[in-house]
Amino acid sequence: MKKITNRALSVLLIAALVIFGMGAYIINYIDHGKEWALYFSRSNSDSTGHLVDRNGIVLAYFSGEENLFSPDEFTREANYHVTGDYWDRTGTGILSRYWSDSQGFSLLTGTTRAEDSILSLSIDARLNNKIYECLGRENDGAMLVCNYRTGELLGMVSSPSLDPLNPGEELRDGTYINRCISASFIPGSIFKLITAAAAIENMPDLSTRKFFCEGEYKIAGVPVTCIAGHWNQSFEEALSNSCNIAFAQIAVDLGQQTMIKYVQEYGMLDSHKLSGISTAKGSYPLNFVGDPELGWSGIGQSTDLVCPYSMLRLVCAIANGGTVIEPYMIQGEESNEVQLVKASTAAKLAEMMNYTAIDHYGAEEMFPGLNIAAKTGTAELGDGTAHSWFVGFLQDEEHPYAFVTLVERGGFGITAAGSVTGEVLQWAVENLE
Amino acid sequence: MDLFGEYMLTSSKYVLIILSLVIIIRCIRSMLSERYEPEVWAYLSHNGQVHSLTHWENIIGRSHSSDLRLTSPGVSRVAAVLRRSDKGEWRIHDIFSKGGVWVNGVKTGSKGLPVIHGDQINIGGELLRFNDVSAEAKRKLESKRTAAGHRVSPSITVFELTVFQLFLLLQHALSAPAEHLPAVALAFTALIALQWCCYNITRFMNRSGFEIETLAFYLTSLGMSVSASSAPDEIYKQILLTIAAVVLFMILGWWLRRLDRTIKLRIPMAAFAGMLMLVNFVVSDAVLGAKNWLEIGGFSFQPSEIVKVCYIYAGASTLDRLFHRRNLYSFIVFSAFCVIILALSGDFGTALIFFSTFLVMSYLRSGSIATVLLAVSGAGLAGFLAISVKPYIAQRFASWGHAWEDIYDTGFQQTRAMSAAASGGLYGKGAGAGWLKDIFAANTDMVFAMVCEEQGLIIGVIMVLAVLTLAFFAVKSARNGRSSYYSIAACAAMSMLLVQLSLNVFGSLDMLPFTGVTFPFVSKGGTSLISCWMLMAFIKSADNRRDASFAVKIFEGSYSEEDEFKDNEQFPQTHFRPEDDPADWEVWQP
Repeated sequence: MKKITNRALSVLLIAALVIFGMGAYIINYIDHGKEWALYFSRSNSDSTGHLVDRNGIVLAYFSGEENLFSPDEFTREANYHVTGDYWDRTGTGILSRYWSDSQGFSLLTGTTRAEDSILSLSIDARLNNKIYECLGRENDGAMLVCNYRTGELLGMVSSPSLDPLNPGEELRDGTYINRCISASFIPGSIFKLITAAAAIENMPDLSTRKFFCEGEYKIAGVPVTCIAGHWNQSFEEALSNSCNIAFAQIAVDLGQQTMIKYVQEYGMLDSHKLSGISTAKGSYPLNFVGDPELGWSGIGQSTDLVCPYSMLRLVCAIANGGTVIEPYMIQGEESNEVQLVKASTAAKLAEMMNYTAIDHYGAEEMFPGLNIAAKTGTAELGDGTAHSWFVGFLQDEEHPYAFVTLVERGGFGITAAGSVTGEVLQWAVENLE
Repeated sequence: MDLFGEYMLTSSKYVLIILSLVIIIRCIRSMLSERYEPEVWAYLSHNGQVHSLTHWENIIGRSHSSDLRLTSPGVSRVAAVLRRSDKGEWRIHDIFSKGGVWVNGVKTGSKGLPVIHGDQINIGGELLRFNDVSAEAKRKLESKRTAAGHRVSPSITVFELTVFQLFLLLQHALSAPAEHLPAVALAFTALIALQWCCYNITRFMNRSGFEIETLAFYLTSLGMSVSASSAPDEIYKQILLTIAAVVLFMILGWWLRRLDRTIKLRIPMAAFAGMLMLVNFVVSDAVLGAKNWLEIGGFSFQPSEIVKVCYIYAGASTLDRLFHRRNLYSFIVFSAFCVIILALSGDFGTALIFFSTFLVMSYLRSGSIATVLLAVSGAGLAGFLAISVKPYIAQRFASWGHAWEDIYDTGFQQTRAMSAAASGGLYGKGAGAGWLKDIFAANTDMVFAMVCEEQGLIIGVIMVLAVLTLAFFAVKSARNGRSSYYSIAACAAMSMLLVQLSLNVFGSLDMLPFTGVTFPFVSKGGTSLISCWMLMAFIKSADNRRDASFAVKIFEGSYSEEDEFKDNEQFPQTHFRPEDDPADWEVWQP
């Protein structure tokens, strides 16, 4: 029996592990209890408070008994993907995430009730209304507008949207998905910004090099096509022409590893945090592919996918001399600065994007009065339709706005996304202080 | 809630915490800090020294862990096992002796030989005299032992527990909707009645130990509160199942009083468990990816919970059988069968509980760390193979440690559990006033978080401490165990509950993979409650304190001193019956 009684001590080993685990939990609780508690504790709360936009327009109001939104249906719908709702139907809204912050917390008593808390957003609800109007509720698309000098996110609209108070019976697929942050799309030519940056930093002969395009070019026997022949072009002209052949050649010349390096460095494959909300990751061929595929990947086709939010960060960095002030939605939030692009590269890209806008899109007619730098994208989906992209920024210290616009299956970049952007920016410059 | 209500709620929170602390401290003092003397069953005299036999099963040999150590080199490390039956008959078995074990000059065969008062035993040339304990001596010895409940009165603890339950009910009365209130009140009343009933039965049987039941009832009360908050519609069912659980606990405890009938039922128990597992595997439908529910005649239950009890019942063993290799092999095969069937059913949590219990039990049985390591590496290899063949299994555990990265899918439950647990603070929100209760499986897989939210972290920790106390008590009792069967069963039952508790608590807090197992006694669910209560019967049967446990029989001495004392100088006549029939009737020639 003595044998057994000595062995019985092995039970104490398990007991010791349990005690150790409880100790670890208590330490964790002291460290993170507040974060954890406030994350979801809203349903229990009879706290009262308001969610307002940058101008004090009420987007949501909760009082314990009642959970309300803006009285205006169009405002509710245009801002739905920002606010989310009280019932977690979309996971990425501010209400899901920050409603609870209206409550207090102490380690002794847990969460405590708060009265009349106010959460102010950097978002401008009127700008969102304008974007939603221009995108059109019948179209699928997304638009982000951000102040690249401060990181304040001014506009974020995803269509289709819905009225949180009357969601309706038949919703289009993906209505609950915020396309700005929670989805990735084929980028098409906007991806050439990344290929161009890689070229600027890795091709010493770039300024003297000529790119020849006669409408079709074969890489290892597989054709890459352009809309028309661009003939002899400089690098700047190639970007302005958005010449597929030139950029496919650049990607092949740079090699897959260099391309991957830039895609990763620019955060296209990562999930970022927008005011604590995780964004979608993109994709790029990471396993070895042959030259033809590599060429296509350099012009934003192949298996390339980009989240609009990741693109916004890149555009903000280019606009802001290479440093991105991480965008945020909640006023007073601390924001990090990240050197995303080399300053010289950013300056060169900004100059080329400005040139592109003036030279190619006829900026004076399309965007009168706006000093715009931009890049279009027409992302072929393979079924004859294409996503229409327009990304860029205003070179204007009064109105330092960066934007990413996507109209799904909208056709040419400049026609669909370009015209939405033009209208929104005109309104923004006139109406935003 | 009006001001008076809030005042009541706040003060009740403090009262509940204070009562919990008092109850747990009283139980710990009574169970762990008091000294309990062993029972004495017989004596062996050797070279003029008298050794008391404090167990029913005693190893005689040269090794340090022998109960009676003989240092002479002619004695092998584990020479013999001297064993007492329920009826007070002693028998000696030759285990690995070098020169045989002789009783009154007759060599024992494989079945062993009976030993009676005055017999002379010869092991490796060492002479031992066996003396039984007389009825008078036994009475005297017993009177010297400390009685259970001697210092800490169990009735007062039960009374405090009753007040605790009433305050829980009060909190429900403040928060529950009016239509559920009668049911909730009935539930707590029934629980209090059940517990006093149980206590009075114990008193009626002249037993004074009630700490195990008190802790079990404490946890069950918290479980009842969880049910009342989260599923008031099903509370009637919970009441009935609680009563069933306590009744089954008493029946099993009563059954375990006699070792011989207990041992006889081991094989049928194992067969029943195996069959239940097979039937479940073949018949049941997968619910949430795990096949662990069986429905018979509209009553659905989790077979694996019942199998837990059978597993401990069949897996524990008496000392003499432990040395048979065949016994160990059949145990390993039985365990492997249970674990594999559970893993195939997709119930990885329960498979892990069985596997850890197997490790503890096989260590208790064999004492071999090598066996344990072999089992662990074997299981690790099997797990690795399973994951490489079916990668989706790994995905189920992929969110472990990353729950906050996917709060809407794989981390859904863990993140909500952590948030709710933290939002309760130290004192909690009050029974029924939390928000976690509305989330699926809050009252089972995430029950620790739910208790922390409603009753606060202090009571959450006390809840864990209650199970730990039972575990320490099982280890402490094992030291004085009558039979290794009881000691092994109690230790194995408690390690099973500890592992289950760890998986539940740390799984829901994202410190271990979330496997969806229940917290002992507290999680809602009838089968789980029944199995936990039945496991308590094993702890009761190992509780050898004086007059403590209804599951332990009180024995008088084997003979009366008025009988003629045998002549010590002459070898007595052989008292062996024909069926004893030793292999070879060699007679010892000194």
